[in-house]
Amino acid sequence: MDTITLALAKGRTAKDSIALLEKMDIFFKEFHEKSRKLVFHSTDKAVKLIFVKAVDVPTYVEKGAADIGIVGRDNILEAQADVYEMLDLGIGKCRFVVAGYADPDLKDKQKLMVASKYPTVTRNHFQKDNRSIDTIKLNGSVELAPLIGLADCIVDIVETGTTIDENGLTILEEIETISTRLIVNKASFATKTATIQDFINRLKETLE
Amino acid sequence: MKSNTSNGKPIPLVADFQMREDLINKLKNRFYTYGYQQIRTSTFEDYDMYSAITGTVNKDDMIKVVDASGKVLVLRPDVTIPISRMTALNKQQYNDHLRLFYVLDIFRQTFDQNGKKESTQAGIECFGQNTPEIDAEVLMLAIHTLTDLNFKHFKIEIGHAGFFKELIAEAALNDTELEHLKTLIQSKNIAELDTFLSSLSLSSALRASIQSIPLLYGRPSQVIEQAKDIVLNERMQKELNNLEQVITILSDYGVDDSIVCNLGLINNMNYYSDIIFQGFTEDVGKPVLMGGRYDNFGGQYSNPMTAIGFAFDVDFLKEVLDQQGSLTTNDTIAEIIIYYEQAKQREALLTAYRLREAGYQVLTFPIDAMDDVGPIPSINVIYFDKGRCTVNGYQLEQKLSDFTELTKLIQKEGAGR
Repeated sequence: MDTITLALAKGRTAKDSIALLEKMDIFFKEFHEKSRKLVFHSTDKAVKLIFVKAVDVPTYVEKGAADIGIVGRDNILEAQADVYEMLDLGIGKCRFVVAGYADPDLKDKQKLMVASKYPTVTRNHFQKDNRSIDTIKLNGSVELAPLIGLADCIVDIVETGTTIDENGLTILEEIETISTRLIVNKASFATKTATIQDFINRLKETLE
Repeated sequence: MKSNTSNGKPIPLVADFQMREDLINKLKNRFYTYGYQQIRTSTFEDYDMYSAITGTVNKDDMIKVVDASGKVLVLRPDVTIPISRMTALNKQQYNDHLRLFYVLDIFRQTFDQNGKKESTQAGIECFGQNTPEIDAEVLMLAIHTLTDLNFKHFKIEIGHAGFFKELIAEAALNDTELEHLKTLIQSKNIAELDTFLSSLSLSSALRASIQSIPLLYGRPSQVIEQAKDIVLNERMQKELNNLEQVITILSDYGVDDSIVCNLGLINNMNYYSDIIFQGFTEDVGKPVLMGGRYDNFGGQYSNPMTAIGFAFDVDFLKEVLDQQGSLTTNDTIAEIIIYYEQAKQREALLTAYRLREAGYQVLTFPIDAMDDVGPIPSINVIYFDKGRCTVNGYQLEQKLSDFTELTKLIQKEGAGR
């Protein structure tokens, strides 16, 4: 069996993902949350885990630096990576939404100013309805943008909606639901078919 | 070599170019052995011709130029289109069978994010016959070429555009739905595919068939058996039989280990009509080779010819081989260097001429210039000085008739380049 390289997104879903892997009997002895290490080997050496920023996971997998990746669909959509998206892990569930002030005039505006950490997703969403917008790429605290007049509305992911509420914004549109996915490099799937299919099947069993 | 950059653009080094040439020669030699002949098409093409052909090159991607009469031309954005037009126009002369290959630059506004505007394509087109034997032979040529290039581990993924088209014809989807469905199938996004299919009003048999398309992946014999279960009509059966025949013939070539079937491979569906394939190698996400049969494509002209072909992106190939460490660096040292003193210039230059006639690579320097030139690595050194001729340390009688003796002393290594 070939060894496979797995890129795992740092952040909110990392712990859940590691727990899933442990259910598959893939253990990373050296892994603990405070660790600064970025590369881990499973005890049976079958899996090499690389720990990278969530937005970079699709890139690592698309370029073949990792065979498979575990990452939120928000990042897959934004990266528009050419990869297989083979399993819904059912963790890290949230939604892509458009949020802003509940202002009826917003609809009539010629051109909306939209702030987001996800400019590609934003553009694609508004393009679908032929609405013209300008996007402002921000890297955090996106809710702030409408408050201080930087943008008319925002596109962001929400889990419970608390942050949106607390900043006096409302959800204007739902774009789509997202969750954590297993993605696979297309070449790896062709060259290491048996190993990867086996990994996917075992993961699927733990999910059921 | 990657470190040699200025303003983000790599400096093309001589050794780099030589490697690229060697790679191209390997491809050409292999194409020749399967009976293909090289051609080229014009760099400037008629813009109107390309804008009239739908579903191939995006108009905005083409690089346009205006000639003196105000006519709009484009820099060759594609090779298959001009070649198939050429063959369609001259069909009668070809006896319905024509094997062509090309190594040509194509130009687009956006090849990648790095702003690269040109790319060298090396590929083949086999016109005239639509038989499983031809399809299998073309696939074999692709495999043979990848073997020549010393790829560590590669697989050719084979799909069938016709099979999928016949399946999807049953569903009668609109363009938006079809695009969405294709995206889901291409990314094997089974979770979302299920949700999407439930939202359409399809018969349960059709839904089950479409649902299983992304899963039809793996060992060819196994995939074909599984695919038989989702056949809904005779036309699908016919397409599947075609695929099975091609796979059976490939099996007789003894290359089962190099192929996998992927019925979810449906890229460039507007272009391809039957067999469709791409080549993958370890650790590289993008295919290194793409191709397929495009029977209806020539129908854009009056005399369509059926054809199958594939192409490599030469620079991408080189990059991948470089990355896998499969490229051999040619030593750039000289074969023979002749140093001479002024008084022996005539003899030295004449010897150089005769050696070059014999096919050797020769550099000549006056001994006085040695200080400026510095030491140049070479396989053989010849001195014409102090009234003598020394070849690699052996002294020769200084007569021109000793040329035979001189060549005996010259080492042949590095001569066969």
